[in-house]
Amino acid sequence: MVFLKKLHKWVGLLIGVQLLLWLLSGLMISLLDPAKVSGAQWANDVPAPGSMPFDQVLGFDDLPAGLTKDALRIDLKPAAGGFVYEITHSDSSVRISAINGRVLKTSGEDAHKIAQKDFGGDGEISSIEAGMAPDLETRNHREPYWRANFSDSASTAIYVSQRSGEILERRNTYWRVRDVFWMLHIMDYSGRKNFNNTLIIIVALTAIWLGLSGILLLFYSFNRHDFWFLNALGKHNEVTITLLDPANSGPRKLKLRIGSNLFVALAAHDINLPSMCGGGGECGKCQIRFEPSDAPEANKLEQGLIPKRRRERGVRLACQQEVHWGITLHIAGGTLKSGDDTSTGTA
Amino acid sequence: MIKRGNILARTLHKWIGLIVGLQILIWLTSGLYMVIVDIDFIHGDPLVKNMQQTVEVPDPSKIGLPELLGQFPDTEQIGLRAVMGETYYLVTTVSDRWLIDPQTGAIHSPLNEETVRKIARFHFNGDASITNVSLIESSPPMEIQTRPLPLWRVDFDDRYSTSFYIDPQSGRLATRRHQYWRIFDFLWMLHIMDYKERADAHSVLLISAQVSGLIFAVTGLWLLFYSFSGRRKKQTTGK
Repeated sequence: MVFLKKLHKWVGLLIGVQLLLWLLSGLMISLLDPAKVSGAQWANDVPAPGSMPFDQVLGFDDLPAGLTKDALRIDLKPAAGGFVYEITHSDSSVRISAINGRVLKTSGEDAHKIAQKDFGGDGEISSIEAGMAPDLETRNHREPYWRANFSDSASTAIYVSQRSGEILERRNTYWRVRDVFWMLHIMDYSGRKNFNNTLIIIVALTAIWLGLSGILLLFYSFNRHDFWFLNALGKHNEVTITLLDPANSGPRKLKLRIGSNLFVALAAHDINLPSMCGGGGECGKCQIRFEPSDAPEANKLEQGLIPKRRRERGVRLACQQEVHWGITLHIAGGTLKSGDDTSTGTA
Repeated sequence: MIKRGNILARTLHKWIGLIVGLQILIWLTSGLYMVIVDIDFIHGDPLVKNMQQTVEVPDPSKIGLPELLGQFPDTEQIGLRAVMGETYYLVTTVSDRWLIDPQTGAIHSPLNEETVRKIARFHFNGDASITNVSLIESSPPMEIQTRPLPLWRVDFDDRYSTSFYIDPQSGRLATRRHQYWRIFDFLWMLHIMDYKERADAHSVLLISAQVSGLIFAVTGLWLLFYSFSGRRKKQTTGK
């Protein structure tokens, strides 16, 4: 158990901050509204072109052979203002007017219209700029784009493909915030895309140790008296113990729930024994002395933190001991008094 | 004050650990699987071949646009697709899609089991035999629940329990699934705690667990800080 505690503590020191970041980023990603993150909240419905007359449309064989060579797909489909051929190769695609056979390009003006039509939020386009995907906000694409920047409160940017005129991405503050948390979550600080990276694998492997040792420690941290509320309909057995503080004239009697943790039970009565670790059996400060005759056996932690001679005199750690019937405890001079001083409600 | 905080931190850490400790361990293990197993492998990239076939523009003297439009007056879109190395027209009408032979005009879709077996063989990167072929028209298995139906399912007798899903209208390999994908999907379900749809990462259950987990981590770090600062103090005072 001592080893487990040490392991838990040191692994915690090593990766505790990342564990906190995982939980925090996971929570933030869950809390952010997906409709806002994706921009779908402010995207207008564009009606499907539907069936259109195919009059005077060029045939597949009218396409320039240089463009159709090694194509993976060729599609004749309706688009704004007529029919287009979309020729897809493994690494690029091109659009050709099915009316006059010219290669179609989306101009900045076209992109302005497309983006304006798409955006249903509160704001106008403040600027349009050209760029090349992939970059941070267009990392799933590989083609030149137009970026339309909107003046809305969420700083929306709509990316329009220079080739097809299609909307590639809708980005806004919600997405950008989520993306930072996503980066922290998958620990890919440059591309924010690759979650199979070595760093996260190592940290996750280490974190499993933290989790496993933590689960094992649970078995030591709880005893059956922690679950007193489950039995006897909440009626708990209280016993009287005696406290002797050399700075006080007489003994003080206290009623405590049997089996409860001595350190916590005393703290509940504003008797604050010194402690750094809050009752974890780590700092060794919450020492009390039993009558040698009724001192319980010292556990491993106490053996490590209290010298043998003092243990033989009945010195133990309050955080490692339970309340028993009729015990008498010697506590450091002034503890009761200082406890009374700091107590606010109880007399 | 700090001492009081420490006791509270320890109590919270202990009790939240009891309540959501298992979920935190599940987050860690499912996350570990997802980061360790290469995502391209999960997507089944090594299981397939011939995924980039090129098309040839057909001879318009046989079947061209006029013939196709005559046969399907409610056409919305016409494409060229390669199926097992051969080019076909793929005609999208208001109601469906049709695979047409550009030489004869014969309608190939919906594809029969024999053709589907051949397509599956054509794309499967291995020698394993096919154990089962079935047409799924309704109540799809979990692994293709968001896909449009119908789909042919072709199961292979390989070490990954690979299944191919082939579109009977276009002959396209719509998707592929295998054992490690299924494990990934199951762990993803545990990770986002959506045990029904495996898709909603914004549920009240998940958020409550996350908030508890966050308190758990903060109290853990709090305890860690004081346990190490206590150690330093002990040394400097020489006790």
